[in-house]
Amino acid sequence: MKYLSDRWVRRLSNFKNVVAFTLGNKVRAKSFVITTLVIAIILSIVVNLPYIISQFSSDEVDKLGFIESNVPQVSAELKDYFDTQENSDIKLVSYPDAGSAEANEKALKDAMEAGEIEGYLDFVQPEGSAFPSVVIKSEELLDSMSGAVSAGLNQIKMEMVLQDAKLTDAQREMLFAPVDVSTVQISATGGAGSVGDGKTPEERGLAMGLVYALIIVLFMGVMISGQLIASEITAEKSSRVMEVLVTSVSPLTQMFGKIIGMLLVGLIQIGVYVVVFLINLGLPHNSEMLSEMNIDLSAIDPMLLVYAVIFYFAGYFLYATLFAAVGSIVSRTEDLGQAVMPITFLSLAGFYIAIFGMTTPNATFIEVSSFIPFFSPFIMFLRIGLSDPALWEVLLSIGILFGSIFLFGWLSARIYRTGVLMYGKRPSFKELRKAMKAYKL
Amino acid sequence: MNPLVVDKVVKQYGEHTAVNGISLEVGQGEIYGLLGANGAGKTTTMRMVLGLIYPDGGSIRYNGKPYSKDQLRNMGYLPEERGLYPKVKIKDQIIYLAQLRGVDRKTADRNLKVWLEKFNVPEYYDKKVEELSKGNQQKIQFIAAVIHEPQILILDEAFSGLDPVNVELLKTTVKELRDAGKTILFSTHRMEHVEELCRNITILHRSNPVLQGNIKEIKKQFPKERVMVGIDGTLTGLDKLPGVKQVIQHENGFEVKIDNAGAAQGILAHAMSQGEVTRFEVKEPTLNEIFIRSVGEKIE
Repeated sequence: MKYLSDRWVRRLSNFKNVVAFTLGNKVRAKSFVITTLVIAIILSIVVNLPYIISQFSSDEVDKLGFIESNVPQVSAELKDYFDTQENSDIKLVSYPDAGSAEANEKALKDAMEAGEIEGYLDFVQPEGSAFPSVVIKSEELLDSMSGAVSAGLNQIKMEMVLQDAKLTDAQREMLFAPVDVSTVQISATGGAGSVGDGKTPEERGLAMGLVYALIIVLFMGVMISGQLIASEITAEKSSRVMEVLVTSVSPLTQMFGKIIGMLLVGLIQIGVYVVVFLINLGLPHNSEMLSEMNIDLSAIDPMLLVYAVIFYFAGYFLYATLFAAVGSIVSRTEDLGQAVMPITFLSLAGFYIAIFGMTTPNATFIEVSSFIPFFSPFIMFLRIGLSDPALWEVLLSIGILFGSIFLFGWLSARIYRTGVLMYGKRPSFKELRKAMKAYKL
Repeated sequence: MNPLVVDKVVKQYGEHTAVNGISLEVGQGEIYGLLGANGAGKTTTMRMVLGLIYPDGGSIRYNGKPYSKDQLRNMGYLPEERGLYPKVKIKDQIIYLAQLRGVDRKTADRNLKVWLEKFNVPEYYDKKVEELSKGNQQKIQFIAAVIHEPQILILDEAFSGLDPVNVELLKTTVKELRDAGKTILFSTHRMEHVEELCRNITILHRSNPVLQGNIKEIKKQFPKERVMVGIDGTLTGLDKLPGVKQVIQHENGFEVKIDNAGAAQGILAHAMSQGEVTRFEVKEPTLNEIFIRSVGEKIE
């Protein structure tokens, strides 16, 4: 501080005041606290949803009835199959033959109504020695049920054929052993740092999930904070507090103070969500599930997180300066929605191209988009996470991004300086340029 | 050297000249009146003094120095329209505004409490602006302008929208600030306030300064053209006297418009011959009349 001139000390202290005021007003607002809490609760529920569902469904066994005499060589085998299986969701219950097809059906339906069984199986033996077909009759159609029954029947059919074929044990074992195919994504040219040096399917899935989550966080962060910046500035204008502010603190300090203040608000919010998310994942039942699914969070490439932070900041600043500029030229809050539309579309476009690119990260369209400043925060990040761009590509994209932040920041600051004191209808570009000249900018 | 010197300042917006060569000087402990109809250029002049916009010609000097950001801390501004955050607590926003002008938090808080006490509204400390009436918002706005103890005060239509009690309260406060040595630039279109508060004035009309100077001097330039006569009994034949232009009968006397000051003596003699004169006054023109005359003549 000692080496700074008085002027800079003052500017810095004003900047600090603007940041603190913006931050304080937002964070202490009831709406902010409530929104953050609600989203944190929703997040907790979503993270625990698989566990909650499994708690409700795991101990339920569906019972299916069948008539003993109905194709017995298959139905009895199927009953055995389910009986001997561990943790089977399905049990078969046999009912004696009541004499006629109608009487059988009535007996089974009565059993259904009495709650003994969920449904029943009707085996149909076609002409000749073909394997019988099965109809599952139930009040609710459950795919999982037909899947389990079909798996059981396949097994029985296989056994029946194998018995006729008279294979050796070794042959049988080989036949039943699953074929091992796995995919590893590799780099042919040498990628950006350690990212994308080759990923197993699990790593790839993890990266996919992470990229998806971070792109949504970036999009939401940019949109929500940006809108807030614009609407706060417009509110300051329409309440004329701007006139008092501009006489106290330079517009540039004010604009960037606001942008940084909002950035901090956003980061606090994201921080809360990340902590809530990690706490939830750390719960014993969830970490068990993760290890069952072969997901190891420590396998996340730290470089990917570093890039996430870089692109979050860069994307935020690029969009935030634009939002601030638009906020400064609008006089009434009602007009703001329409005025920010172009920026909203720009970020929506970037977001959707990124979502589309999740499955085709190497498409030419995606590669080109990853250098366009308003898209690159989403898309270059996607490429780093899911594909393997060369280091120079990443650096070029970040360079272009920083360059445009500088350019648009400078332009926005000029617009802001002029815009904050212009009232009445939204000025056209021509009027704005004229006003800038009048203000000697 | 006067604290605030405006020298031949010109402001143009494209083809339109908003302020055309205004010059004025405001001394320490003085309230300077800037008069004019709506759109005459008062607010533009004030904005230039505040450095919100830069003049296209001429110069403005503060204590002999040109405009710089440092001057901002020396100035307090009360805008014509309310300029406060509707949804922020008064203590938060006033302290914030004070901090932006270089007052530390503690001092700002103390000053705010003193001012609220002075305006008899200490309970507003924790309230939001939107909860207050328009007149009370104006009090808070006034506090925002003076919280950092500025040397130069710019008050744009300070008393608009206030009831008579609060006008009186703010007027007294402005006078106190003047007596404490502040330099005050004051704009209004309410002439009675100007006559009470200001030493010097400038009347702006359509961007041009049309009349300028000490109020007393200005009044002297305009002839005394009005005579008030009170009398017991009746008074007739006034309109036949030389120099009398018009006679208006009021509830408790007569108002006589004359075309030269000498005619007043004739009226007095005439009145005394008809009854006992209870009141006789040769009136100076009111500022209102001067204003209308100087602005009106230009319109024709």
